[in-house]
Amino acid sequence: MKKVSVIAVVFAIVSLYAFKPLADKLVSKDGHISFFSHTALEDITANNYKVVSTLDKTTGDVVFSVPMQSFEFEKALMQKHFNSNKFLDTKKHPKAKFTGKIGNLGDIDFSKDGTYTATVTGNLDIKGETKVLNEKATISVEGEKVTLDSKMTIVLADYGITFSGGKPSTNIAKEVEVTVKSIYAKQ
Amino acid sequence: MLVRINLMTVCSFTIIKYNMKKTIKIISLTLGVGLVIAIAVAYYMFNMPKRDVQSAKTDFSVSSTDIVNEYLADAALANAKYLQEEGDSKILAITGTVVSISEDLNNQKVILLKNSGDKAGVSCTFTAETNQNTEHLQIGQTVKVKGVIRSGAGFDEDLDLYEDVILEKCDLVSK
Repeated sequence: MKKVSVIAVVFAIVSLYAFKPLADKLVSKDGHISFFSHTALEDITANNYKVVSTLDKTTGDVVFSVPMQSFEFEKALMQKHFNSNKFLDTKKHPKAKFTGKIGNLGDIDFSKDGTYTATVTGNLDIKGETKVLNEKATISVEGEKVTLDSKMTIVLADYGITFSGGKPSTNIAKEVEVTVKSIYAKQ
Repeated sequence: MLVRINLMTVCSFTIIKYNMKKTIKIISLTLGVGLVIAIAVAYYMFNMPKRDVQSAKTDFSVSSTDIVNEYLADAALANAKYLQEEGDSKILAITGTVVSISEDLNNQKVILLKNSGDKAGVSCTFTAETNQNTEHLQIGQTVKVKGVIRSGAGFDEDLDLYEDVILEKCDLVSK
């Protein structure tokens, strides 16, 4: 009898681990982040296709890791400025990161095709400065494919990116519009 | 006598005037040339051609295993070696086994080089010009890819997975 209960407990523990579903975490290595800065003098756009993201369907955890040197600009000089130690200092801070959580996980049915609105709250870390972000994202479920889209405004000064003079101070907006897209597949 | 002096004065004035004219001409010419050069430089800076990674010389030739291990051992040291300020980071030629071939949202081919047993690999993004060179590639094949490094490998606790080394502007290197 004792033996049976020991076996039962062991079995229960083993099955708990076995069924702790790894597949609940979705991974995306196929994404696109772009930002857009508008001033009367100049419009600046940059694109990055190397963002890595994870989305946990059971906990609602969302993480984005962005390699900063992968931002491509239209003009080579802008790209140099962006990477330089006066702006993003990408040699010292090669990655930006967002770690957050979906607040209304109950509203999203990952097993049913459809488009859902998620509220995501978390910390965005750029250049060693962390700020709280509170944004809306659209999650589309299409069979096994899950897509996340979001658009937000980021205030550059929040991350210590300031321009005191010269062309950057007049040609770069103080707030930039950031667009995020990630396509997730089962790990 | 008086007429003579007057004549001399007039003469010397003419010389000075002539010299001044010459000086002004030289100054304005110099300024003009300087201005043209300044505009040309500003124009060049503004329209600076993008870095041509494939024509540039290769800084390091390493295997995907070696660079991943270098990053896992000491990421700060590896970043100091491979990343450059202003984003013009080192140009690498990486040898490794093709484990996946995919396409990103910009229709660029992405080849993951990773040798068996390695915790992370090297993700190589090709360009519109070099995409077609990946067509004959097969999974399991060993290839050499040249590109610019954007970021290193490492274990990210939040993602709970190993991130690959990122190489962009890639093309195959024929051996």
